[in-house]
Amino acid sequence: MSKQDSNTMHAQDLRRVSVQQRIVKGVVLGGVYLFLIVMALIVLFPFYWMIISSLKSLEEYRLNIPTFWPKVIVWSNYAEAFTQANLGRLFLNTAYVGIVSTFLSLIITVLSAFAFARLEFKGKNLMFAALLATMMIPGELFTITNYATINQLGWMKTYTVLIVPFLVSVFYIYLLRQNFMQIPNELYLAAKVDGTSDLKYLWKVMVPLALPTLISITILKMMGAWNSYVWPRLVANDDAHRLITNGLRNAFTATTGDVNYPVQMAAVAIVSAPLFLVFIFLRKYIMKGVSRSGIKG
Amino acid sequence: MVESKHQWKAWLYLAPAIVLLLVFTVWPIINTVRLAFLEDYNALAATWGQTFKVGIGNFVKVVSYSNFTTCLRNTLLLTVLTVPISTLLALLIAVALNSIKPLQRFLQTIFFLPYVTNSIAIGMVFAAMFNIIGLRPSGLEADSWGIINNVIKFFGGDPINWINAQSSYAANMAVMTVYIVWNALPFKILVLLGGLQGINKQYYEAARVDGTPRRRVFTRITVPLLSPMLAYVIITGFIGGFKEYTSIVGIFGEKMGPVGAPYRLNTMVGYIYQVLPETNYGVASAAALILFAIILVVTLINMQVSKKRVHF
Amino acid sequence: MKKKFVSILLIACMLLGVVALTGCQKGSGTGVLAGNFEIPEGGYDGSEVTITFYHTMGSNLSDVLNLYIEEFNKLYPNIHINHEQVGGYDDVRDQIKTELTVGNQPNIAYCYPDHVALYNIARAVVTLDNLIASDIEITRADGTKEILGLTDEQVADFIEGYYNEGKQFGDGLMYTMPMSKSTEVLYYNKTFFEANNLEVPKTWDEMEALCAKILTIDPDCIPLGYDSENNWFITMTEQYGNEYTTASGDNHFLFDNDGNKAFVKEFREWYQKGYVTTQEIYGAYTSGLFVADTGTRSYMSIGSSAGATHQRPTKTSDGYPFEVGIATIPQVDPSKPKVISQGPSLCIFKDANPQEVVASWLFVKFLTTNVDFQAEFSMASGYVPVLKSVSENPAYADFLNKADGGDYISALSAKICLEQESAYYTSPAFNGSSTARDQVGLLMQSAFTTDDGGNLDAMIDQLFKNAIDECNR
Repeated sequence: MSKQDSNTMHAQDLRRVSVQQRIVKGVVLGGVYLFLIVMALIVLFPFYWMIISSLKSLEEYRLNIPTFWPKVIVWSNYAEAFTQANLGRLFLNTAYVGIVSTFLSLIITVLSAFAFARLEFKGKNLMFAALLATMMIPGELFTITNYATINQLGWMKTYTVLIVPFLVSVFYIYLLRQNFMQIPNELYLAAKVDGTSDLKYLWKVMVPLALPTLISITILKMMGAWNSYVWPRLVANDDAHRLITNGLRNAFTATTGDVNYPVQMAAVAIVSAPLFLVFIFLRKYIMKGVSRSGIKG
Repeated sequence: MVESKHQWKAWLYLAPAIVLLLVFTVWPIINTVRLAFLEDYNALAATWGQTFKVGIGNFVKVVSYSNFTTCLRNTLLLTVLTVPISTLLALLIAVALNSIKPLQRFLQTIFFLPYVTNSIAIGMVFAAMFNIIGLRPSGLEADSWGIINNVIKFFGGDPINWINAQSSYAANMAVMTVYIVWNALPFKILVLLGGLQGINKQYYEAARVDGTPRRRVFTRITVPLLSPMLAYVIITGFIGGFKEYTSIVGIFGEKMGPVGAPYRLNTMVGYIYQVLPETNYGVASAAALILFAIILVVTLINMQVSKKRVHF
Repeated sequence: MKKKFVSILLIACMLLGVVALTGCQKGSGTGVLAGNFEIPEGGYDGSEVTITFYHTMGSNLSDVLNLYIEEFNKLYPNIHINHEQVGGYDDVRDQIKTELTVGNQPNIAYCYPDHVALYNIARAVVTLDNLIASDIEITRADGTKEILGLTDEQVADFIEGYYNEGKQFGDGLMYTMPMSKSTEVLYYNKTFFEANNLEVPKTWDEMEALCAKILTIDPDCIPLGYDSENNWFITMTEQYGNEYTTASGDNHFLFDNDGNKAFVKEFREWYQKGYVTTQEIYGAYTSGLFVADTGTRSYMSIGSSAGATHQRPTKTSDGYPFEVGIATIPQVDPSKPKVISQGPSLCIFKDANPQEVVASWLFVKFLTTNVDFQAEFSMASGYVPVLKSVSENPAYADFLNKADGGDYISALSAKICLEQESAYYTSPAFNGSSTARDQVGLLMQSAFTTDDGGNLDAMIDQLFKNAIDECNR
C-alpha cells in the first residue's frame, strides 16, 4: 500500500526515469535472449548435423564445401544402417536387458526402501550409513573383481551378467526411502490396526503414493541400459548379447572399404531416437530424478 | 519395543539387496585391496596355484609406468579445463533463463537435450564434425575439410587438423574440452536453475528498491545464495572429470588417440581398462586404488574450500 | 551420524588391511602341473570321450571338417568331436583365457603362437614331445594299426618351417601342430604394369624407384598399400637380420636398435612422399584402395595370401576391370628371402582325464597328416597345406594348374606361397610377445605421421623408447 502511495506521489518524476529504464531493460532483455538463442543453437547443432548428414549421399557428404541441407534425400541410409550395424538384434538385446533389470531393480529397491523407512530393526541407521558410504567409491574399483567373479560363476557372455551385478542402486534406495518417509506414519499404523499385511500396505498405499519417484527410477535405469558401454564390452561382447552402444561403436570400425559416414550418422540417429522420444514425453520425471542424482545413466 | 519377529522380517525385505551388495560391492572392495597388494597377481597363473608375494610392487609398477604421467596429466588437464568452463557457462545460462518469462520452458528443454544422449553415439557425431576426409600427408590438401573447418575458413581462418593423423595434442584437447563441456552443461544448468528458482524473491525486491546495480546483485546475492548448488555441481564435476573415459572413446575410439599417436589421450580409467583384459588384476587393482585416493583427496579439498565459501 | 560414519570407515580399513595381509594363501593347487605329458599305459584305450574343438572356420570350411570327422570316426567311433566356431582368432583366445580361470577350457583349439604363450601362464597346454615320440601301437576300428606317435616319414613330410613353429616357446618343447598356413604376398595390378612397362620389384630399393615412377604416371594415386604395420616391422627385422625379441632371458624386447631405426626412418620418408599407406592410417584394409574404381587408388598391395579374393576387383559384364598379379614381397637380399609365417596351428589343453588328451592328439594328428584333408581344406580356405606331399594330390595339382589373376586367384596365391616355402620365418612367442607385435605396429604408424619438430632422430628415438616402455608395462 505504501508502495502504491509513493508511486502516485512521485509519478511525474519517475516517468522520465522509467522510460530510460525501460529502454535499458529492453536492451538487456534482448541481449539475454540473444545469448540464450545463440547458446541453444550451439547445443542443437550436433543434432542438426547428425540428421542432415544421415540423409546425404556419400558423394555429397564428401563435398569440399558442405551443404546445410541435402540436395537429394537418401532415406536408404537408414535401412542400410539398420542392417549393417545389425541394429535390430542390438535393439532387442538392449530392450530385454533394460526391461528385466528395471523390473527386478524396482522390486529390490521398493523392498529395501520400505525396510529402511518403516520397519524397526537393530543396526538400521548403521546399515543405512554403510550403504551410503559405498556410494563414494568409484565404480571402476568394482569392475576388476566383478569381472573375476562372473568369470568364476560362468556368466561370461550371458544376459545374466548384464542384469544382475547392477540391480541394487544405493542411490535409488535412498531416493525412495526419502519419499516413503514423507508418507504419514498414521496411515501405516491404521493399516496395522486393520490387520493389513506389510506387503499389502506397501503395494496398495506406498507404491501408488511414491509413483512419480518410481517412474523417475524406471526411466533412469532404462537410460542406463541404453547407454552402458564399459561393462557390456568387457563381459558380453559377442553377437548374441552385444548391447546397442557397443555395437554402434564397433559396427563402423572393423569393416573393409571406406567408412560410409552418412550411414554411420543414420545409425547414430536411430540409436538416439528412443531416448529423445522418452525425453519428450517424460521430461518432468527425468529432470526431477537427475537433479537429485548427479550421475548419468 | 522392537519385536524379534519384526527384526527378521526387516532383514528379509533387505535380503536381496544385501546379498547382491555383498557379492558385487562389498567383496569387490575387499578383493581390490587384497589384489593390489599381491605383487603381479595374474588370474591365469593363479589357476595352477602360483603364490604371490605381498608388497607394494603393483603400486610401484603403476607409478613408474612411463605413460602413467600421461594418463594423470590428461585426466587433470581435462578436469581443470572443463569444470570451470562448463560451470561458468551453465551459471550464465541458468541466470539468463531465470530472468526471462516467454520461451523459458522451451529453452530449458533444449538445454537439457544433450543429457539424454548416448556419449559414445554423439561422440561419433562430434568426430564427424571435426573429421577431415582424405587428408594428404602434406597436411595441405584434403577431399573434405569437415564442417568445423569450413566455418573457420568462412571467417577467414586456416583449417586445423583436429583429430586426424598428425594432429597436435592441443587440437585434440580442444575437441575433448568442447565435447565434455557440451555434455556437462545440461546437468549443471538443471541444478543451478533449480537453485535460482528456490531463492526467495524478497532479496531481489530489496535490491531493486535500493537500486543496486545488476552486477552487484549477481555477485552479492545470486552467487552467495546459489553457493550450495555451485559447490554441488563443482564437486560432482571434479569427480566426473577424474573418471573421464567414454567421451574420449566416443571421439577417438578405443585407441584413445588419433592415428599415429595411440593412447595419447589415455586417462586413469582408460589405463585400468587397458590392463584389465591382460589378466594382470594386481596392477589394475593398484591403479583403481590410486584413482580412488586421488578422487577422495580432491573431494575433501573441495569440501574444505566450500565450507569456507558456501553460505548455507 | 558423523561419528558413526567415521568409525565404519575405520573398521572397514582395518578389515581390508587384515585381508590384504592374509591374502597370499590363495591358490589351492588343484590346477594342472607343468612338464611333459605322461602317456597312460597302452595309449588310447578305446573309451568313450567327447572332444571340444574351438576354431574360426566359416560354414564352408566346417563342411569340409565334418566330412573328415566322419572319416575319423570310422577309425575311432568312440571319440566324439564337438566343434564350434567361436568367432575370429582373438575371440578364440579371449574365450579360452576366460575359461581357463575356471577350468572349463576346450580340448583342442586353433591358435597363434602368442595365444599359446598366454595359455602357458596358466600352464594349460599339453607338450607334444612324448606323444610324437611314442611308438605304442593302437588298433583302429577297421582292424588296421597305427603307432600313437609320428613316423619319421610323417615328420619329414611337414614343411620344416611350419613344423618348427611349435617349438618356438623358449624351452625347446613342442606345443603346437601346424594346421594351415598363409604369408604375405605382393599383389600388383598386372594390366597397369604391362601397359606402362613396369617391372615387379624384387628389392625395397626397386620398390622405392617404382613408387616414384608410378606417381609420375598417376599423380593422384598412392602406389603401395601395406596392410599390417606390425608384420612390416617384424619382417624387416628378419630381412636385415636385426634383433627383434627373444623368448629366453629376462629382457625379451630387443628391437630398440639402430638398424631398425634406419628402416623406420626410410619408410617414414616414403609415407611423407606419398608412396605408401597402411591399414590403420588409411582406415581400412588397403585392398579397398587396390580394387577401387573411383577416387584415390593404389597399384600394389601387400596383404595376406589367404585374402586373395579381396584383392580382386569386382567382376563386371566385361570380365574383371584389371588382372591381378602376385609376387613375393620385396626383399633386402633376394637371395635370402624372408616372409612371415601366419595361419592357425592346433594346441591341446590339459585335462584331468588323460584319455581325452590322447584322443585329442589322435584327432590333431589325423587333421595335420591326412593328405586328402589338407588338400581339400586348402582349396576351400585359400590357405596353403602344411604337408609337402599335398602338391602331388591330383585334385590339388589340378587346382594349382588353373591359377590365374581372375577366377582362380586363390590358386595363384597358393602357388606363390608354395614356391617360397624355404623363406618362412616365425618370431619368438612368450608372455608379452603379442604386446611387442602391437607396439611395433603402433611405432610404425607414429613414425610415419608424427611431426618431427625439426629433429627426426630425437623423435624416432623417443618412439622406440616409448614402445619398449609399453612392452615392459
